Amino acid sequence: MQHQSVLENWLRGIALALIVLFFMFPIFWILLMSLQTNETILRSPPSMVFSPTLSNYQAIFAGRLDSNAASLDIRFLGNLWNSIILSVGSVGVALLFGVPAAYAFARYKFRGSEDIAFTLLSFRFAPPLLVLLPLTSYFQTLGIADTYFGLIWVYQLICLPLILWIVRGYFEDIPADVEHAYRIAGHGWFATFRNIALPLARPGIAAAGLLAFIFAWNNFIFALVLASADKQPVTVGALAFVTASGIQYGQIAAAVVLSIAPTLALALYAQRYLVEGLSLGAVKG
Amino acid sequence: MSVTAGLSVTSLSKSFKDLQVLDKVTFDVPKSETLVLFGPSGAGKTVLLRCIAGAVDADSGTVQIDGDDVTQVPPESRGVGMAFQNFALFPHMNAFENIASPLRAQRQPRLSLAETVDSVARLLKIDHVLDHAPRELSNGQKQRTALARALAAEPGLLLLDDPLRNVDAKLRFEMRLELPRLLADRQATVVYVTQDYKEAMALGDRIAVLDQGRIVQIGSAAAIYRRPANITIAKLFGDPVINLLEVVPEREKQAISVQVSNQQIMLPHAADDVIGRPCMLGIRPEDIAITAPDVPAAVPVSIEAETPLNEKIVSLAITQRGRELLASRPADVASPSAGAAGFLFNGDGVMLFDRESERRIDMQSDSGKKTA
Amino acid sequence: MTGRSHRFGLSPRFEKISEVQHKGIRAGRISREVLPYLLSLPALLVCIGILIPFGTAIWYSLQRYRLSQPWNRGMNWGENYLNFLSEPDFWNTLQVSLVYAGLTVVLELLLGLGIALLLRRRTRLNNFISVILLMPLMTAPVLAALMFKLMTNPNFGILSYFMQLAGFEDFRWGSDPSTALFTVILVDIWVYTPFMMILLLAGLRSLPPQPFEAAALDGVPRWQQFWRITLPMLMPYVLTASLFRLLDSIQQFDIIYALTQGGPGDTLMVFQVEAYLNFFQSTNIGRSAALLIILWAITFVLSNMFVKNWLRLRERARGEI
Repeated sequence: MQHQSVLENWLRGIALALIVLFFMFPIFWILLMSLQTNETILRSPPSMVFSPTLSNYQAIFAGRLDSNAASLDIRFLGNLWNSIILSVGSVGVALLFGVPAAYAFARYKFRGSEDIAFTLLSFRFAPPLLVLLPLTSYFQTLGIADTYFGLIWVYQLICLPLILWIVRGYFEDIPADVEHAYRIAGHGWFATFRNIALPLARPGIAAAGLLAFIFAWNNFIFALVLASADKQPVTVGALAFVTASGIQYGQIAAAVVLSIAPTLALALYAQRYLVEGLSLGAVKG
Repeated sequence: MSVTAGLSVTSLSKSFKDLQVLDKVTFDVPKSETLVLFGPSGAGKTVLLRCIAGAVDADSGTVQIDGDDVTQVPPESRGVGMAFQNFALFPHMNAFENIASPLRAQRQPRLSLAETVDSVARLLKIDHVLDHAPRELSNGQKQRTALARALAAEPGLLLLDDPLRNVDAKLRFEMRLELPRLLADRQATVVYVTQDYKEAMALGDRIAVLDQGRIVQIGSAAAIYRRPANITIAKLFGDPVINLLEVVPEREKQAISVQVSNQQIMLPHAADDVIGRPCMLGIRPEDIAITAPDVPAAVPVSIEAETPLNEKIVSLAITQRGRELLASRPADVASPSAGAAGFLFNGDGVMLFDRESERRIDMQSDSGKKTA
Repeated sequence: MTGRSHRFGLSPRFEKISEVQHKGIRAGRISREVLPYLLSLPALLVCIGILIPFGTAIWYSLQRYRLSQPWNRGMNWGENYLNFLSEPDFWNTLQVSLVYAGLTVVLELLLGLGIALLLRRRTRLNNFISVILLMPLMTAPVLAALMFKLMTNPNFGILSYFMQLAGFEDFRWGSDPSTALFTVILVDIWVYTPFMMILLLAGLRSLPPQPFEAAALDGVPRWQQFWRITLPMLMPYVLTASLFRLLDSIQQFDIIYALTQGGPGDTLMVFQVEAYLNFFQSTNIGRSAALLIILWAITFVLSNMFVKNWLRLRERARGEI
């Protein structure tokens, strides 16, 4: 329906190439850095010709870095582990609590339901430090300052509203009659929830869960304020790593690659769900 | 506890926000009978059915099934079967699982469950598509699956919400023939919702007419057709629609009569109190015989157009006063040629309605006919 | 068929119903009233869990409260807020935050809209590119900042090298007050432009084709089509996406903290960075809390606007299905 000149096609192609270059180059370059030794990194002018090495990754996985000057403990693997526990734990808890609540909000218009849903949503947009800073002293008092439990609880601030609002939309899209039919067929509300509502809302639950996982993984400020050193996820750990290892640029790059690899892999694997979730159901892609 | 009442609904009311959807609805359905709930869309039929099934809570009133008050009983324990207008099949289960769902709730052993599903499916001629998902089924198959699901557990009370609404004309015709036999075989108490008056007349032992949340008339098909409670019902039943003429009854010698286009129509059974009251005269098209223009007692008209409708021929005529009248006759009855003719009203078919309240005015001869 | 039928007088089914009835009255009534609350109880608890520290923060903000001077702690009511009026630091924070948020949102909107228009047609290449562009968005902002820190290192950073080639011998990126804002905005654009792009692309692709077909028939030139049809129809999406980004951007912490900690000097002292440093470094808790309450007030207004827009868009998207 549109007539395109050759020139226009060329311009379009060049623009797209530049866009891809701009957005992909940093990831590509850091990946290259992570495969180099410090000597090749520090070459001037920079070059893409080098013999790749896995020594940076080996050092991270070995947990020790022996250079000619000194040897250094690398705790980065612990950070990676913390990230996994915190993200999986938070999403698990958020699904466990959020999906039934989303169902209640979608199916029963009970008193105060909209208020609760909106309070949760509006706090998604409130400055996180506003809640985090007072929490530091509460965490001390409650004795959960140094626990996964405390962090996972606070992470609900990110995960729960997301799950609640996305999954709620999916539950609302299930025709009420389908659920009525199942109940009239002789099944109780829980069986109906489990056998009808849950399976039919599965795409939404997957999208919300995936997105919650990525947001939890990428979160920085919560753990920066509340996590003690041995509970820090990769986001905080990587920053600390920079200060600790100083000039070991190859290792820093490897740590960054390891930190962003899980979310990037998830993004590529399930991009369809992500697009749906990112728009919070505002757009059906 | 009356064992004869399969279902009794007492004073059931329901409103959504400010909108009163059901207003003190009361009726009984004797065991093993079929009651057709008929009414225009928005009359509250679907909500009423849902209240009976327990899917929607009524604000007040009670529902009794087989003599037990089930108003507070959750839907899964009411022992009813229901087919929905939009089928409401479980999209993630195949036809077999859909039909089996009420049996699974009863924890039937697998063998007898498969047998039951199979026999219902064969009865409804869908045994060849049992492994299909709902989206792979045609509309007709979906409808039959929904029906099979409602029937599978042999519920004592069957609620059918306009099940033929969303299927094509041919299938609707077939099912209209099949359904009464199917329902009679089961001896279940049935509430059948429809907007189609022919369906209502074909299926129901009795018909309850619902309008704006109220039951306006309950009776046999013949009774509602011949003695509609008001003008609305008279118009809803019948195709082509009933003729309505503004008249004022007057005394003519010993009898009471009305004037239609210079012609006296006698109302031999009318009571004196109608004299001088503004009324509507109702006459169904098939109660009008077409005669030569000069036949005594026939209303002189000129026939403007004729058109076939189903197995009838409908004539549109205009009286000398400019009123339109419809007459219908079987297709095989020859017609007098277009132009001047006479319309002869069948005296038994003449109805009189109060113009203000729109209610039908009882004429005494009715009492003798109340046998249906 | 199963033999259970009402036909045989008082059938088993009959008894079953009366038996269930007693349970049903209780279980049915209670569960209908209480069930939704029961289901949403955890969400409710989280709500309360948020409201308590929020209340505490308000309380802090009304106090003279420095960890270094515990003897001096006490209510001073609105003094923290009043002090802001005469405090250049506060005005700097407000200005930097607004400039940062404004610039990032406008630039990301323009870039995101441009990319979305380029990728509008559903070809395999376009879909592939839009998937690839998800990757920066899936990168933790703090790690993206680290990546740019590595790339802007004066000794070996590839971006520094490019700048050198372009004739800027001593381009200092984040450590120079004159280019620090440019650097953090660059990272923000890298991370968040794909978000704009995704929302706008989904919006573009969901627009009805009829107006465009009509315009093509009428011979409306394409650049006019954009201004007269595409943009007005896309406006709800533009508004929703921009408000969402504005909400996030005015609270930006990760990128700025990781790259410059608000520096050099106070060039990049946005609200949350300033509040964080106030709390943990100068331990002026009262001031920190007051700063955050002011930020909260700004986001509250924005989030109400966003939620209204978003819900309308959501209704529309779901209505079309």
